[in-house]
Amino acid sequence: MILVQVIVGGLLLGAVYALFSSGLTLIWGMMNFINFAHGEFVMIGMYLAYLVAVAFHGGPFAFSLAAAAGLFVLGAAIYFGLIRAVMRGPMLAQILSTFGLALLLRYAAFWIFSPNVVTLPHSYLSGMINLHGILIRESQLVVGAAAAALTIGMHLLLTRTAIGSQLLAVAEDRNAAMLMGIRPDRMQALAWGLSAASAGIAGALMAISFPFSPEVGGTFALIAFVVVTLGGFGSVPGALLAGLVVGLIQALSAYYFGPIYKDIIVYGLFVALLWFRPQGLLGKA
Amino acid sequence: MLLSAENVSKSFGSFKAVAGAGLQVAQGEIVGLIGPNGAGKSTFFNCIAGDFAPSGGRIAFDGNDVTDAPAETHARLGIGRTFQIPATFEDMTILENVMVGAFLRCARRGEARDRALEVIEMTGLKELADQRARSLGTPGRKRLEIARVMATSPRLLLLDEALAGLTPTEVQRAIELVRAIHQSGVTIVIVEHIMEVILNLAQRVIVFNQGRIIAQGKPQDVINDEAVIEAYLGRGHGRKAKQ
Amino acid sequence: MRRGTFALSAALLLYPWLVSGTGSSAFLQDMGANVLLAAVGAAAWNIVGGYAGQISVGHAMFFGTGAYLPLLVFHHWQLPPVVGVPAGIAVSLVIAVLIGFPTLRLLGHYFSMATIAVAELLRIIVSNWDFAGAAIGVQGPATSRGWWDLIFRSAVPYYYIFLAVLALLLFVAWQMQRSRIGYYLRSIRAGERAARSLGVPVRRYKLYALMLSATFTSLAGSLYALKTGFIDPESGLGILVSVQLVITAALGGAGTLLGPLLGAVILVPLQTATNTWFGGGGTGLTYIIYGGIIVLIARFEPGGLLELWHRHITPRFNRRAQAGDAA
Repeated sequence: MILVQVIVGGLLLGAVYALFSSGLTLIWGMMNFINFAHGEFVMIGMYLAYLVAVAFHGGPFAFSLAAAAGLFVLGAAIYFGLIRAVMRGPMLAQILSTFGLALLLRYAAFWIFSPNVVTLPHSYLSGMINLHGILIRESQLVVGAAAAALTIGMHLLLTRTAIGSQLLAVAEDRNAAMLMGIRPDRMQALAWGLSAASAGIAGALMAISFPFSPEVGGTFALIAFVVVTLGGFGSVPGALLAGLVVGLIQALSAYYFGPIYKDIIVYGLFVALLWFRPQGLLGKA
Repeated sequence: MLLSAENVSKSFGSFKAVAGAGLQVAQGEIVGLIGPNGAGKSTFFNCIAGDFAPSGGRIAFDGNDVTDAPAETHARLGIGRTFQIPATFEDMTILENVMVGAFLRCARRGEARDRALEVIEMTGLKELADQRARSLGTPGRKRLEIARVMATSPRLLLLDEALAGLTPTEVQRAIELVRAIHQSGVTIVIVEHIMEVILNLAQRVIVFNQGRIIAQGKPQDVINDEAVIEAYLGRGHGRKAKQ
Repeated sequence: MRRGTFALSAALLLYPWLVSGTGSSAFLQDMGANVLLAAVGAAAWNIVGGYAGQISVGHAMFFGTGAYLPLLVFHHWQLPPVVGVPAGIAVSLVIAVLIGFPTLRLLGHYFSMATIAVAELLRIIVSNWDFAGAAIGVQGPATSRGWWDLIFRSAVPYYYIFLAVLALLLFVAWQMQRSRIGYYLRSIRAGERAARSLGVPVRRYKLYALMLSATFTSLAGSLYALKTGFIDPESGLGILVSVQLVITAALGGAGTLLGPLLGAVILVPLQTATNTWFGGGGTGLTYIIYGGIIVLIARFEPGGLLELWHRHITPRFNRRAQAGDAA
């Protein structure tokens, strides 16, 4: 029974991994660009949740919204202010740009919030739910379900809406999209906004259950790297599946070997993936 | 046969870019590859160059099976190519660009430098040797690409629209350069849109349409071929032209 | 160029003597040694990140390995730390192949992601491994048992050891730059597809660059361990170590010979200054500044300060020279 609980918990957390990773893979698929500051977006989402909870006594819905809105704006701003310019430059500039940004955001957070680990002032959704003898915290279930829904929502947005097809058109062929009257700049800014927002909401949701500090961005970034590689270049459904897998592996590793191993095994898995199947679960060789 | 491509096909996902194309090129020929945009000629070309691995078929060069070999191997065996959109090494000088090519055949810097200078002289780039590639315009870049690949002493040279975007005078100069290269013993396959170039240079022309080869022969014959005219202008035009 | 090289070499050789008369000679000599050490690490990173254009943001894995092995060799078997230096290089080479072999045939992003992941993986493993000192770290010899322990009270001997290593590294880089491997690496960075079409064995050369870089980065780590006599997961394998290596090379000019040295000359005193002025909070501020600098370099001048110099200052010299000729 404990094992089942562990599995369920891992999958639910995996859904959150899927949510923020889908943002990273969206940008990767669209612009062939890896955002090394993506983990910091998650971290900022957590701190925005904190601010809303402390200053406005808001609840999970309020701080998710705040995180989504705040990060959306930040993402689009970063696109216009930095990314658009470095996309025209050499690889060094592209990789360093978000790497430097990550450093900047992380240490700005250190400066503003102090390095201490914090939690939200109240516990939200703290009830326990009993599903056929499996005990899950209400927060775990709600967060996991919300994350899964949002990830699926992102996929539907991309594949079923007009805006989505415009985004994909720009991803496919920028020049052709321009000829069709789509403005690639706007679409790419929108993608950055969505990507950041997905990270922000994921962070806000995780803040409900986990303590955090300015450093957590690094770990989330690495999880996102593993998830997007496992899920395949640019694939949101792949990110969903891969997120669940990574969440599950983490939970099982912690259960069988101890908490330290949850990261070791996931990073080790990443290296193995690069050796044997870099295209991920769903990609082609 | 220097180059022998048999039944080559290449698919990207469900899209079949090239289906069952074959090409035999004997040493010393100049062969032209034409066809409308999206006809598959560039994809076929890239398969021969080693940029893509074909989904089916065989490609042999000078007796070696290069079907699945990477581009580096193709180059080492003696296949050189230029790019449709010039891919010069922007921040390196013209001399340095050409030296990269020369290093394929020369191990030492002095040798490579000498070889590069020879080639630069031959292609008329001598005055610009120490300038960075990024300071060149498109015609200069195309010329540099040719110089660079010639430094690798290729036996087969694949030119991918090397004359597109040039003024008539530049086109003439380029045609002369290609002729000179051919006369020095290099076999050439050239992809082109400009009919004048094909008529002037090619001994034999291959026409692509929708992934297949639809005509082959002497340039004069091919451009009057019904199927070819239809491919370019649409159905019905072929017969109209004959009337 | 010749006069400049001579002047620079003279300045570097005489620096400890030049500052020996001042009031803070020990401090300045120590800082000089640190500048050289930073330059060695940055120049090592530069081989794969600058010349070959493969951006590693986890180079701490090589630095840390090179730092840990000598101290572990002392800690467990009382051998002179210097004995562990080749072991550090060997392990670093294994790590380099482990990461490089699969990822260098893929798009550049995979390599960069892998470097962060493996550096972090190593840090976590070492933090929890008692044999390697766990979170507490490993100490070197407290007192010198002989010259071979390389424990000096003054920074000056370290200064000259580091200078020798830097000179060797820059010589290797200079030779490399002028030879086939140098041209090939630059071509890979400038355009892989075109390089391939010219017969450049791209994957193999990237791997060579990574292995050469790993060797010297490991050596830099070993030198650090010899001088400070202490290493722990954060100071050896932490992300900030990787950051330091990258920014030092990139600020001066990634892909240039002297860029890393220039970067070190600017950043080491800068970091010392901010740490002193802002005390404990200084570290946070230093890295905000670092992040800002990296972003600015990426956005405005990826070629670093040396490129900036070439673009804006050199043309003016040439114009003046031309005017002088005409007169």
